[in-house]
Amino acid sequence: MSYIILPDVVHYACTCGILKPISKLYFCRHCLELRCGFCVCHEADSHYCDKCAENLPSSEARLKKNRCGNCFDCPSCHQQLSTRAATVGPKNPDDPKAAPRKVFYLLCLLCRWSSRDVGIPDQAAVSGGWPERENIYAHRLQEIQDMYKAIVLSDKQQKLDKDKKKQRRYMSFTDRTGITASMLRKRIGWPDVPNPLLKAKPTELNNKAIAKEEVEEFPEDLLTSPVNLSLATTMEQRLVQPEWQPTTIDKLFPIHKHLSVKRSQRCRSCEHNVSKPEYNPNSIKFKIQLFAYYHIPEVRIITVEPLRAGKVSELLLKFSNPTQHQTSITLFPYKVDDVIACEDNRTEVISQSSEEKGSGSQPSSITHTSLTRQPSITIKPRPIKTRVVADVVVPNASFVLPPRDDAAEYDDSGDAHNIQNDPKIVVWRKSNKAVIKLQVTPNSDLNIGDEVTTAFTIQHIYINTITTVENKEPQKCEHKVKVFLTLGNLVGGS
Amino acid sequence: MTSENNINVMPGAIVCEESKLDGDITIGSHCIIHPAAIISAEAGPIILGDFCLVEEQAKIIHRLRPEQTNNETTPVLIIGSHNVFEIGCTVEAAKIGSNNVFESKCFVSNKVNVTNGCIIGAGCKLIEEQTLKNNTIVYGSKCFQREGLDRPVTQTAQMDTLSKMLPNYHHIRRPMKKDYLN
Repeated sequence: MSYIILPDVVHYACTCGILKPISKLYFCRHCLELRCGFCVCHEADSHYCDKCAENLPSSEARLKKNRCGNCFDCPSCHQQLSTRAATVGPKNPDDPKAAPRKVFYLLCLLCRWSSRDVGIPDQAAVSGGWPERENIYAHRLQEIQDMYKAIVLSDKQQKLDKDKKKQRRYMSFTDRTGITASMLRKRIGWPDVPNPLLKAKPTELNNKAIAKEEVEEFPEDLLTSPVNLSLATTMEQRLVQPEWQPTTIDKLFPIHKHLSVKRSQRCRSCEHNVSKPEYNPNSIKFKIQLFAYYHIPEVRIITVEPLRAGKVSELLLKFSNPTQHQTSITLFPYKVDDVIACEDNRTEVISQSSEEKGSGSQPSSITHTSLTRQPSITIKPRPIKTRVVADVVVPNASFVLPPRDDAAEYDDSGDAHNIQNDPKIVVWRKSNKAVIKLQVTPNSDLNIGDEVTTAFTIQHIYINTITTVENKEPQKCEHKVKVFLTLGNLVGGS
Repeated sequence: MTSENNINVMPGAIVCEESKLDGDITIGSHCIIHPAAIISAEAGPIILGDFCLVEEQAKIIHRLRPEQTNNETTPVLIIGSHNVFEIGCTVEAAKIGSNNVFESKCFVSNKVNVTNGCIIGAGCKLIEEQTLKNNTIVYGSKCFQREGLDRPVTQTAQMDTLSKMLPNYHHIRRPMKKDYLN
């Protein structure tokens, strides 16, 4: 996703240790951690063709080799082929009343390749019924596939048998699953019914590939006739059709279009979805979209004074609050190997609801065993390797960001929020945004032209609106996130 | 270079008055020149064939290569018929045949000879000295070339519509009288 503030100079440290712009991060509301594309589980939700928007079940998609049955790509430039209509004379030209027929052919609008180029006959129907090409090696491929499948199965069977022999003495399967039919048969001495899947013994291929002693003779005309490159296919054109690998352009045939996939992303530690699209291929909406952009305060660089080694420069940053709740932001200096901050990015602030609960003398364990699932995997965050070469003097005080209000853009009456600004920190403020002033000092050992990167930790109040059975009130949490700023290159002079 | 504009418009051509025509230009019959098109005969006369379509912001420039400037004879750029110059293209080609399509924002330098039935794809840049064979198609960001089966279809319907629509909304340059031609 391209983002309106490119070039991306502000990076957020994901929990996994990768630095990414905020637009590429997710925020899991259940574990209150940042997640990125590398530290979520990707799941294919549905297969669909992005041309005809047909939704296919995954089994059918596999059967069709993940390709659409009706849509084609250009074999020459791999763009979509479109169907074109043409009128030809009627079937029997002698009959004056016969209406002209419409026929259809495929045309690529980029390179103007058409199905007529390779002599594919025009079709009478729009949807085609385009001739399918049979791979002459399909049978052989199937044979080899079957053989390997059988080998895998027999390997599995052998392993199972081995385990059974070992374990039989010590453990009874009936303890767990009850007696099975196959065990009963064994007990009374009948032969076991073979699993239909396991029936195939690794069959030998009846015709093995044999290396030939004689090879085809070298065609002399390769050396004598002039090369016509416009007739030869490019490497891409060959590799996109691995079954045929056409060498000349007259063997290019339309390629069935690859299916696209709608994918949902799941937080790896709590297994909640952070992104789930709607199933309908026509829809671009999400059922669940926990993008960090909607939850984490966004930082943008307004200006920075020219950076000189060892000298103080003024840095103006704009913070904006994307949530519907007021938040308070506190800055902390960045520490390398900030272990405490890594492992425990959040500390629960005593919320109003838990205060009430405290008086109700409820066992604290219940408040935690909510609907939120227990983390199944705990992943240790990796250390961040980016070198921070400038110090930021962070203010001790925190500042408040009002909630986001879409109507505020059109409201000229000024801000209704009565927020006491610390003029030393906050230099400008409007609706949910505030510009703050910081002092940044590049390290004195830097050379002119070096890129200056600085970092600090933001702590913001996050209102978790997930309601659980026990906890109807939104919870207030303090969430910390590390922000890395690429400020530009060091300049010389004074 | 040329101080005086000498524009000849053949009967049946629709040449909008706002179009920028510089130099000695002859426009064939049934041509359509859009109001923001630019045709510049810097180095010598341009003769545009019949049924050519020059769309908005298209530039046809007759510009000589440096080694040709000393020649005493002024070369004439003869453009064939049924050529389409799409929006924003820049064509400086030395020779242009018939039935070519110059797609949007393409660039053809003055070292290129364009024969017949060629398609220069959108955004393609042809700079090096070359002669495009008949029915060559240039496409894609890397300017791949392939040979087409047939010349591109003529846009008759589009031309008909334009020749009806344009005079309703634009001032049209008056073609030469027929008797003057004879």
